[in-house]
Amino acid sequence: MRDILRTVRRRLTHDDPSTDGGTITEQRPSPGATQRVRDRLGDRFGSDFVESLPFWLPTFLLMGLFVYGAIIWNLLISLTDYQGFVQPDYTNLDLEMYAQAFTDSSVVSASVNTFLLLIAFTLATLAVGLGLAILVDRHIRFENTFRTIYLLPMSLSFVVTAQFWLWMYNFNNGVVNILLGVVGLGPVDWLGNQSVVLWAVVFALMWQFSGYAMVVYLAGLRAIPTEHYEAAKVDGASTLKMYWRVIVPQLKGSTISASVVLMVFALKAFDFLYSLVSGYRPPAGSDILATKMVREAYSNLNWAYGSAIAIMLFAMALSIIGPYLVYQFRRGNL
Amino acid sequence: MAELELDALTKVFQDGDDEVVAVDDVSVEIDDGEFLVVVGPSGCGKSTTLRMVAGLESVTSGRIRLGDRIINEERPQNRDIAMVFQSYALYPHMTVRENMSFGLEESTEMPDDEVRERVEDTAGLMGIEGLLDRRPTELSGGQQQRVALGRAIVRDPEVFLMDEPLSNLDAKLRSQMRTELQRLQEDLGVTTMYVTHDQTEAMTMGDRIAILDGGRLQQVATPLECYHEPANQFVAGFVGEPSMNFFEMRYEEGRLVGDAFEYPLPAEIDEAVAGATDVVLGIRPEAVELVGERDGGHDFPVVVDVVEPMGNENTVYLEFEDTAETLVATTDGMLRITEDERVTARIPEDAIHVFDGTTGEALHNRTVVDEEVASVPTE
Repeated sequence: MRDILRTVRRRLTHDDPSTDGGTITEQRPSPGATQRVRDRLGDRFGSDFVESLPFWLPTFLLMGLFVYGAIIWNLLISLTDYQGFVQPDYTNLDLEMYAQAFTDSSVVSASVNTFLLLIAFTLATLAVGLGLAILVDRHIRFENTFRTIYLLPMSLSFVVTAQFWLWMYNFNNGVVNILLGVVGLGPVDWLGNQSVVLWAVVFALMWQFSGYAMVVYLAGLRAIPTEHYEAAKVDGASTLKMYWRVIVPQLKGSTISASVVLMVFALKAFDFLYSLVSGYRPPAGSDILATKMVREAYSNLNWAYGSAIAIMLFAMALSIIGPYLVYQFRRGNL
Repeated sequence: MAELELDALTKVFQDGDDEVVAVDDVSVEIDDGEFLVVVGPSGCGKSTTLRMVAGLESVTSGRIRLGDRIINEERPQNRDIAMVFQSYALYPHMTVRENMSFGLEESTEMPDDEVRERVEDTAGLMGIEGLLDRRPTELSGGQQQRVALGRAIVRDPEVFLMDEPLSNLDAKLRSQMRTELQRLQEDLGVTTMYVTHDQTEAMTMGDRIAILDGGRLQQVATPLECYHEPANQFVAGFVGEPSMNFFEMRYEEGRLVGDAFEYPLPAEIDEAVAGATDVVLGIRPEAVELVGERDGGHDFPVVVDVVEPMGNENTVYLEFEDTAETLVATTDGMLRITEDERVTARIPEDAIHVFDGTTGEALHNRTVVDEEVASVPTE
């Protein structure tokens, strides 16, 4: 895979290594047919292309079939009217399912929720993670302990987190409502109220993932030399200005990589919502494309419709990952 | 512009239960517009001293006075100082222009167009006008160095603090920047405290040198005073390359007795040394003379061990017979001398230094031949 990428990159950037013009070419007997094929493959993809085949070809084929093949098959199904227990009819392909999805108010609201979840969750998690990272980086006592504590929720499975927050958000005995009650607020029906449930989910997910954002930022902060902090201070910047103008802008790389991972997690928030209610129907007001897709396919047996939603979700994920991959590729990190 | 005074400045680091004294009772007064070079071997506390002045390190005891303010407790951003770091510490995400404007924007209320003007003026002074819209990573080491200096100069602070600013440059660029920095400082007239471990920089750049060792101030004086009239054995050995020859000797009525040789003392030096028992005799390599014939008690037969020809001069390592003691001499580059040759070395009595064997204090320093020339500062 690397070889192919390298070849592609070389072709895109036109920086073929040139020889010094003085190399000695061996006189060899004219090669046989197999050798010629090998040579041509070698010329095209790098000299060890054929030799490395056994190592990457099996995974390449399996990935190709089960991941990319499945995506293509899914795309095909989304173009049919496949429904119920009959076999799909591949002769009549159209975009009817997509047209239906665009006018379906539940799909539209699921898309809006997906976007809200994506944006709010990513921003909140990055902000909290950055805050924690800056605090932990200030050479506090028990630094490692705090780092572990903050990272711990990340190691929990979605199912555990969901169950945990289900208790936290419990209307009568939940810790959140009890705490709010102390200051004279609430109780709030966190999971039953349509206008707050999405934010409750965002908060729970943020609780789980801000530790991850913290670790990414911490690595970024550690890479910034101490002199930058000192130079900014001597230059007259207050602590806040120092972070805002000198330190945080240098964390651009960390922000990009952390937000890509977080956004992809946000799109996959299905597990969390599924575990929250142990079923395909999340609390009203928190339906996202992922849950809608599974519900259409497995509860309602609208296979083609579910596939169409899946493709839409896939396109969204691609639109996040794609620019990131291009960015990394340009910087030569792929 | 203001004078900077360090008064009994002390810094103690806590390392677990141990106390490490990094800077011990250092007092120096730096006049307005003066260029003071703080020099010493690594770990001598020179950087810590500088960082205390910058406010990046807290002061354990003592006082730092800038003009008529005591700035011990001031935050670095309120001290009106500019610092040049060894690694330059340019902000990589900002252009050169933004790097240079940052300090003015943060420390003053100056309007944008004035900031712009000052940055451009300073860039012109430093010869980096063409680089203003580039980023630090696109610049060479020498250019980055200029930007780092420009960033300090544009602030027009009371004091410049420089922490080994030239040590990341190659030898040629370093000597070029040395001259340039000196000229700049003279033109701007800003009080400057310059930390280095390089004694060439100390000798050539400073109005005065402060020599530190083990956190203690050894001597503050003009470069030539440090060279010719060192306060103690450490200063004598630190300043000068190749460094001074030292011989551990015993004082006996009118002469010094060592493993390798005996050295009769003239009456005047005898008086200064009398009372001490263990002493160290010091002689600069360039003061050692190679003579043809033995003539008097200050000439000693030696064998040439190694010759290092430098072109303009030779560094010759001479061995006293039957001992491990070596005498280093620098001789004229034209002098033909070969290894294993037997020669006679003269240690002239007017060029010797005598230090106390236990405290290292200078008991006697060489007579400075020409007072006029020697006492002129290096400016």
